[in-house]
Amino acid sequence: MGLFVKDKPSAASGAGQHGDNETSFFGAKLTVKGKVSGGGNLIVMGTLEGEFDLNGELVVAPSALVNGEVKAVNVTVSGGFSGSLTAKQKIHLEKSSVVSGRLIAPKLSVADGAVLNGEIEMKKSSESKPAANDPTQKEKK
Amino acid sequence: MVKDVTSGSTSLVSRPMVVEGEISGDESLHVDGRVKGIIRLKGDLFVGVSGIVEAEIDARNVVIQGTITGKVLARRQLEVQPSGRFNGECTAASYEIREGAVFEGISRMLDRMQPAERAMVSTGQSNQKQP
Repeated sequence: MGLFVKDKPSAASGAGQHGDNETSFFGAKLTVKGKVSGGGNLIVMGTLEGEFDLNGELVVAPSALVNGEVKAVNVTVSGGFSGSLTAKQKIHLEKSSVVSGRLIAPKLSVADGAVLNGEIEMKKSSESKPAANDPTQKEKK
Repeated sequence: MVKDVTSGSTSLVSRPMVVEGEISGDESLHVDGRVKGIIRLKGDLFVGVSGIVEAEIDARNVVIQGTITGKVLARRQLEVQPSGRFNGECTAASYEIREGAVFEGISRMLDRMQPAERAMVSTGQSNQKQP
């Protein structure tokens, strides 16, 4: 019985190509303005403007442009970002990224070639852990 | 019928996600989560069973398996599937409402409208009234 109850509309639906549907996806030709919140991961390839509070991972693809105040667990930026970026765990900036603004995370990694202008704040995620042994390799740019 | 996507990819608002604001673009959108605000698409809007949309919508085809509340312009077709609910005002070139679906509100046919009126609907502005 309950085999195909809650999940995707199966058949008939026509657009059922998204199998695992906890990851949201905003395509390159899509612009989203406003407030985005909730769980799940988000992959952005288009333009995002506003306030984002995600209980998951945010991936900003090379073609993407994100502007605003972002909170997420993990953030990977390969595209453009400006504004304030807060990650509970870590932020990774790929070499193609162009970032300006304020970054807050316990862990940050920046690839060679990334453009980074702004302010960085590193908070320890939990006091109990003695953090990483000397975060000397946090930013070499 | 929703599959004739000429404009490439389909974006997805997954079930745990809530978007308040404006979503616009040249592609199609599948909503399993919640969207509140404005949706303007060159492609199709597909609202899955768990999807809840409260918005002013302008899309090519609109397919409802979940819930839409608001004002809809479907340039081609509005389809309400058996699990779907629609509340509001809809203008579409054609309708397909399946048995079991809920449609409450006003429906209008797109091709019987005057061009000027159509333009008004598509821009979502009705502030042209004379005093």
